[in-house]
Amino acid sequence: MLDRLKKIFSNQQTVVVIALVAICIAFSLMTDKFMKPTTFTDIAKYSYYVAFMAIGVTFVIATGGIDLSIGTVAMCTALIGGVLMEKGVNMFIVMLVMLVIGSLFGLLNGLMVSKLGLPAFIATLGTMMVSRGLGSIVSNVKSISFPQGDAVGSWYREIFMITKKGGVLAKNFPTGFILLVIAAIIMALVLNKTRIGRYILSIGSNKEATRLSGINVQKFETLAYVFSGFFAALAGIAYVAVFTTVLPNSGNGFELDAIAAVVIGGTSLAGGIASIFGTVIGVFIMTVLKVGFPYIGVQPHYQLFITGIILIFAVYMDILNRRRK
Amino acid sequence: MKKTKKIVATLMAATMVLASLSACSAKTEPVKEETKVVEDTKEEKAEEVAEVKEVVLDANTVIPVIAKGFQHQFWQAVKQGSEEAAAKYGIKVDFQGPESESAIPEQVRFLDAAINQAPVAICLASLDTEASLESIKNAKEAGIPIIGFDSGVPGAPEGAIKANAATDNVAAGAKAAEELHKLISEKLADPAESVRIGVVSQEANSQSIVDRTSGFINKMIELVGEDKVSVIGHDKFNKKNDAAKVILEVGIPANVKDDEAAAVASAIMNKEDLVAIYGSNEFAANAIINANETLEILGADKVIGVGFDAGKKQKQAVKDGILVGSITQDPVQIGFKAVELAVMAAKGEEVSDIDTGSRWYTAENMEDAEIAPLLYD
Repeated sequence: MLDRLKKIFSNQQTVVVIALVAICIAFSLMTDKFMKPTTFTDIAKYSYYVAFMAIGVTFVIATGGIDLSIGTVAMCTALIGGVLMEKGVNMFIVMLVMLVIGSLFGLLNGLMVSKLGLPAFIATLGTMMVSRGLGSIVSNVKSISFPQGDAVGSWYREIFMITKKGGVLAKNFPTGFILLVIAAIIMALVLNKTRIGRYILSIGSNKEATRLSGINVQKFETLAYVFSGFFAALAGIAYVAVFTTVLPNSGNGFELDAIAAVVIGGTSLAGGIASIFGTVIGVFIMTVLKVGFPYIGVQPHYQLFITGIILIFAVYMDILNRRRK
Repeated sequence: MKKTKKIVATLMAATMVLASLSACSAKTEPVKEETKVVEDTKEEKAEEVAEVKEVVLDANTVIPVIAKGFQHQFWQAVKQGSEEAAAKYGIKVDFQGPESESAIPEQVRFLDAAINQAPVAICLASLDTEASLESIKNAKEAGIPIIGFDSGVPGAPEGAIKANAATDNVAAGAKAAEELHKLISEKLADPAESVRIGVVSQEANSQSIVDRTSGFINKMIELVGEDKVSVIGHDKFNKKNDAAKVILEVGIPANVKDDEAAAVASAIMNKEDLVAIYGSNEFAANAIINANETLEILGADKVIGVGFDAGKKQKQAVKDGILVGSITQDPVQIGFKAVELAVMAAKGEEVSDIDTGSRWYTAENMEDAEIAPLLYD
């Protein structure tokens, strides 16, 4: 019996699913407001931007690197997109441009790390500062409000959440959740079933051995960062779809939420082991905590304290499991 | 390969040094180019000044105005006001703000650079008085009067700050409570069941936000009756009274992030006995509006929403009736009065604190000539 239990808990992905369910049950028992459909809508809405960033950065962490720029790149692309939108550019084009800019930042990071040999921490720290400043420069340090309600271009919000009544889908239907699931499935397949994913994990596991096997390490390492940049831009789109306003100079701290979620989900910071599923569950754990704590009346200072402990505990469990193997 | 790396590294280091040097000198230029000068009152002022003090205020006089940031539109409006005052008095202002409201060392550098230019006066909204103490003392010794604006320079040494041009945030928060009370007074007068009012606040540290929150809470307590109100939700503001039927619930997010703030607002807005909710700044008001997108409970005939400051999202919400109204500061006046006080102080005249005031705006009066300019985007 104990052996069976141990086997279940030896997989971090199983552990986090159980943890997520346990937290949800705990919150539902403590307040009857938690189990409402509107609460689920909120949890979904607030999770999108962190989830997309986390999916992208999972690839980078899988190579043994890190990307501190995802938060500010997300906001920078949002600001650049916003400026274009205010000039009358079509919303569809705006979103495409944002994705391209995010990928370019990713490319910059990738080249700095793989070709120039800069430590990922420093390279992405630099990009973080550059993108933060660039966003303010382009927007002339003004905050930007994206279209909402009946304004032209507000259709893009429906990709993430149904805001209007009387359509095919009910209001508040979390369409973004469907988008997130599709993206997660695709990226999980890329990570686990394609050469790209295999090589990326291999680089994280043992870079030198991978290089000696004849694999173009620079190309695949750079690709991981491009994924990260692309998804950071997607996170930017998700952010403005939900919150509609973006401030210049923001984004700092978003990356830590995403990275924490990735690590809780069982991806190793040392590289070589990664799970998109774990990442997504990790994001939901963090979002459920964010949404649930105020419902049960936990004050902000206690929230920070408890979230920190959960993070440390989750990562420790993962390390214990790995040692056992 | 190693040699290339070394060359690249040296080049990058050299570029960084050069970039930071050129950035330092280039900083003040663009701002000066933007200020305008009007010459009509210049001559009269110059004569007046010559009698009172040795200081000559003319088109070459530059008064540095060091703000807390550039990020929010609020500061752009303050800048506009300062430039209007500059035009009126025939001088120039050099409006500066660090890249973010947490960039304290950067602001101290601006302050030091400003003091080194020996201006006739300086306007300052300090991010951290402690960090700026040395610089403030230097200014005092050099005889340069400092005028505080917005949150001013709390805790500054005696006599260093001549006066402050700011919103009395306690009064502004109280005004929000008064306007709200007008709308829900029947519901609050001896209710049979519990009645809840939400108070969402960005954080509990910044003086201006704490003042607006406590100003609201204390005024509401005064209007309803001291023993009939219970304040819960945050250690800083709590005044528990289990027998009271009117409950003021304070909600503050753990981090200043849109999603966490919206979650806090949602938690309060999910409670059935809620009759009204107040957000003590643009960020908090946006959180309430975001939470309402899912819950849809705000409106003149439902739960009354009251905000603070402006911003595109909040203005739209007031226009649409989601928020019944909001309190706006007068950032243009803050900038204007700060420079005006600086000019007076430079001439050696007596100066004292000015409350630049707050206004209540609703969908009806938003477009009025005297309200519209205060509502920045």
